[in-house]
Amino acid sequence: MARPDRAALRRAAVLIGLYILSVTVALVLSAMLIAITGGPWRGVLNALLDGAIRKPGRWGDTLAEATPLLIVALGAIVSARAGLVNIGQEGQLAVGAAAATYVATHNSGAIAVVGALLAGFVGGAIWAGIAALLKYWRKVPEVITTLLLVFIASQGTGYLLTRTFLLLDDDPNKPNRVQTSAQLDTSTRIGYIRIFGNEFPWSVVAALALALAVSVVLHRTTWGFRLTVLGRNARTAQRIGVPVVIAGATALALSGAFAGLAGAVMLTAGTANYRFTPGFANNVGWEGLLVALVARNRPLACIPIAIIFGALRTGSGFLAATGVERSIVDVVRSLLVLALLVPPAVAMMRSRRVAPPPAAAAHNEPVVAVVTA
Amino acid sequence: MSHPDDALQGADATASAPAVRLSSITKRYGPVTACADVDLELIAGEIHGVLGENGAGKSTLMKILIGLVQPDDGTITIAGSDTVIHDPQTAADLGVGMVHQHLSLVESLTVWENVLLGDHRRFDRRAARDQVAATAEHYGLDIDPDAHVSDLSAGLRQRVELIKCLRRDPRILILDEPTSVLTPAESEQLFATLRDVVAREQRAVALVSHKLAEVLHATDTVTIMRQGRVVEQARTVGTTASSLARAMVGRDVSLRTSAAALGATDELTNAPVAVTRSFDDRPEVLRIDSACLVRGGVTVLHDLSIRVRAGEIVGVAGVEGNGQRELGDVMSSLVTLDDGTVTVGGTAVRTGRAGAMARAGVAVIPEDRHDSGCVLTMSVADNLLLDRIDSVARGGLISRAEQRRVATDLMREFDVQGAGPDSLFGSLSGGNQQRVVLAREMSSSPKVLVAAQPTRGLDVGAIEYMSSRLRAAAESGIAVLLISTELEEILDLSDRIVVLSRGRVMGELLRSEATSERLGLLLGGIAAEPNPTGGSHGSS
Amino acid sequence: MIASAVGAVGDILGAEAMYNSAIRFAIVLAFAAIGEWVAERSGTLNISLEAMMIGGAYTSAVTFSATGNVPISLVAGMVAGLVVSLVQAHLSHQLAIDQFVVGLTLNIFVLGLALFLDSRWEAVTQVVQPTRIPGLVDVPLVGEALFGQPWPMYLVVPLVPLAWWLMFRTRWGLELRSVGDSPQEADVSGIHVNRRRRQAIMFAGLTSGLGGGVLVLGQVSIAGYESGHVGLKGIIAIAAVIFGGWTLRGTILGCLLFGYFFALQQTLPVLGYRMNAQLAATLPYLVALFFTAVFATRTRQPRALAQPFVRGLA
Repeated sequence: MARPDRAALRRAAVLIGLYILSVTVALVLSAMLIAITGGPWRGVLNALLDGAIRKPGRWGDTLAEATPLLIVALGAIVSARAGLVNIGQEGQLAVGAAAATYVATHNSGAIAVVGALLAGFVGGAIWAGIAALLKYWRKVPEVITTLLLVFIASQGTGYLLTRTFLLLDDDPNKPNRVQTSAQLDTSTRIGYIRIFGNEFPWSVVAALALALAVSVVLHRTTWGFRLTVLGRNARTAQRIGVPVVIAGATALALSGAFAGLAGAVMLTAGTANYRFTPGFANNVGWEGLLVALVARNRPLACIPIAIIFGALRTGSGFLAATGVERSIVDVVRSLLVLALLVPPAVAMMRSRRVAPPPAAAAHNEPVVAVVTA
Repeated sequence: MSHPDDALQGADATASAPAVRLSSITKRYGPVTACADVDLELIAGEIHGVLGENGAGKSTLMKILIGLVQPDDGTITIAGSDTVIHDPQTAADLGVGMVHQHLSLVESLTVWENVLLGDHRRFDRRAARDQVAATAEHYGLDIDPDAHVSDLSAGLRQRVELIKCLRRDPRILILDEPTSVLTPAESEQLFATLRDVVAREQRAVALVSHKLAEVLHATDTVTIMRQGRVVEQARTVGTTASSLARAMVGRDVSLRTSAAALGATDELTNAPVAVTRSFDDRPEVLRIDSACLVRGGVTVLHDLSIRVRAGEIVGVAGVEGNGQRELGDVMSSLVTLDDGTVTVGGTAVRTGRAGAMARAGVAVIPEDRHDSGCVLTMSVADNLLLDRIDSVARGGLISRAEQRRVATDLMREFDVQGAGPDSLFGSLSGGNQQRVVLAREMSSSPKVLVAAQPTRGLDVGAIEYMSSRLRAAAESGIAVLLISTELEEILDLSDRIVVLSRGRVMGELLRSEATSERLGLLLGGIAAEPNPTGGSHGSS
Repeated sequence: MIASAVGAVGDILGAEAMYNSAIRFAIVLAFAAIGEWVAERSGTLNISLEAMMIGGAYTSAVTFSATGNVPISLVAGMVAGLVVSLVQAHLSHQLAIDQFVVGLTLNIFVLGLALFLDSRWEAVTQVVQPTRIPGLVDVPLVGEALFGQPWPMYLVVPLVPLAWWLMFRTRWGLELRSVGDSPQEADVSGIHVNRRRRQAIMFAGLTSGLGGGVLVLGQVSIAGYESGHVGLKGIIAIAAVIFGGWTLRGTILGCLLFGYFFALQQTLPVLGYRMNAQLAATLPYLVALFFTAVFATRTRQPRALAQPFVRGLA
């Protein structure tokens, strides 16, 4: 392509400026929110930084927290690539984790870890598969079904924890008789790596490899190529022989499978104390989805964003001392997401005002734009 | 031929001030100048033809006048005062109305609701309905105000559009390629209405067209545009088809050989056809037998049977909206027939199954390439290899270098210009996009080529290129099915002509039997006298 | 076995409390669903309906805490819904950011914000006492349900015809329908497509904000704001619109149906039937999923639903 000219450089500069501006606005708004509700915003900032990286051993935890976020995000990208809007990862993750728990608590050893991960993968796939079935068989928008299935999954997996033959811990000495699964045996846990006083599970490395793999598959393989055609122009895809229903359903199921796998990883890597409990998913599904949105569906871009979001999670653990409710982190995070979505949109609208594509200019026919999530 | 201004002097002196004056209008899209320093005056009581090839800038100019596009430079003067037209609403307030070629009626609404759309008078249902009926009657445009637009033919839809415009009592009425959706009889009726509107009500009418015949026939004054500039303005009576053609294309052109591209119908139908070739001894490559398709309760293809032999070009003629789109969709594996079969090279092909037609050897140049022929947001190279990405992959892994090499070769062979293999497909001009689609489809060594509206939106040079490619394809033994609403194109290329009306075959003619009158009747849905089909007639 | 099942059905159908509760759930859903219906007819599948309801619920609750005035609290709820809708409308229909992305982010944002603010300014509410319409309220079974509700619930009665009238008897409604079906055509006809769509979303913000307010001030079992109370009711309301085939009548029917199952889930234990609480909680969602699936294909959705409009792009 041509060398970047001055106009392109100016556009880039404007974009960077917009990013700085909007992120600043988001952070200032967050600080103001804390301040007007009577909280110490400096204290909150310090607590977040302490919890995420500054205190000893924290960045290992941050990486561990970032891992399931990254895996969920990668799945979200697969379905978005096919033009589908899966927003039910929170439920798919819970179902995957429940399935993994069943396998992991009924078996032991390395094979149980593998089995649990597989079970998580399959569980998530099935849960998203329901939405795929309803979309292609009954034409119900997957946006709605995946969301409704989140609620059903969270309550349904809660039910599994009320029966000992399902997931409920049958140990009479279990803590407070609460609904919880048995704790995973030490032999069915993912191993840890120790570096510079930090430790994190092997799954961190595996997830990075997975990001690379997803990137290669989507951008370099014929399967990824066909999926992309499907997502951007379904009729053209049908014409050239991409089976729309099969490819779409596969992509949706696969995105659920990734979420389920993330659940299995959370379980076996111990980010939730090696137990399955009600509320196990703990917003990881939602946040993972946000990671994909902010990364604008680029697998490798998900890595730094997942780490930042993971840092917000570990940082929020240190908020108790400041007396500020943890949910402020949800507010900060979603403000950040909005802040990161706006600049490219503004830049696009600006560039459209200057020059529409020549195809639209020279001819009567409008140019079809495919706006992917 | 006279200087642009001379011919208008006389008219200006006698007529009142122009209803609208466009001065030095310029519009650029990046490097492309769509309109360069254009001056145009529309005068009350006159039909003003705006003639030019596709891409000459006439549509952009009209979009500026209607407020859909903002000019970079120049002024618009309406009724003596300078104005800025921000949007179609402003234009309507200023008394500018436009009958669009496509895109202005909402299918799910009724006729009267559509007529009201975009208006901002008081919303009174009964009064509105009565008014629609009254307007229709006043202009002799018969229509049921309560009918749903989705149930109307393209011709009736245009009638609705015309009523919608006229009800607002516009001083300036623009018609953009109005006859493209009309049968010859309907076109004649439209021009009669227009003459009435102009003579009786002193409106100014701009008739945008790329067809010589209709500009000569229906206008008082003509402005010819080429490459964004006005190249000539004259009273129509002082012009001839060949002078207009020269001005339009910018070089001497033969009306005979370029008749289709220029829209010179007379030249085509009056020209003697040298020899009608016989294809009886060639194998039947494409057979569509008793195809039936029902969409939303409406039968859009009705017992349709078409055969195409190797090397033959069969033209499917018809006014827009009579089943052509659906026929194209069937051949693109986009819809499943409710009844009937499609056979390619002797083998039945399952309709509606992803990629089945393509695998059977059916290449398609789709009616709307953006709809089913390409992916705008992927690269040119990706689009060239859309259906055979496997050929540049090993073990499922795409070799970008290999892909780029194959793409570059194809781009050279089919003369795709102004872009590299990595450019975004959507950034190409319409003509080059069409070449990319053509390159992909032709290089798949097809048995059948379905070309649906292959020259729509292209300029004369590109049209001629496309025509020669289609001829060459037939020559090489491919069975060509040409689906077109442009009668000139059908007459120019076809060996045999099948006329569609409401999803039925109304008649089948050898090229040599096709006269304007016979085609006109068939297009209007009047069936041919019983006539053995299959084309074993002798030549005329 | 069969006898007991029949008995159970009899009990359920004969329980007055059940109808009462069902109508209340249905009304809360209807406020949101009517707004969503308008938004969807104009081409937006507005999933931030959930956020609008949450915003309305918390703001109404906290306003009531401060003022004790029901009308002011409801208006505050509407304003909160409107604010959320303004963000949704401008991000998705001015900056052309994907509407689902915006909606999802807003849902998470408002849920977190309400939770956070509630931790600082806890809302304490009182349920508005039912207004009993003499005579009619004594009609067996449904009397209480239809004629003995807290007054904010009755606001839905004028809202339904109002929405219908706006949509089918005003120019605004005609234009909304046209931008939901054929935005390009509407644009060349001189209609500001995205402006109309934004207005439709704002309408949804007002009604669903009101729905949130009615939820916290009209539902008996609630004494303040709790994050679970909205609990995807906004999404159920969207399902009701789809179930109803994008007609107002069908949408209301969907609200009644789904409201009934919310009530069933709540009433079963009261009637002495034992059912796992978690499974019972999934009931309305399963029902919504099931019925939406069953009825989805029979209907005609706005052709441009969930498709952004940018002039010059199709």
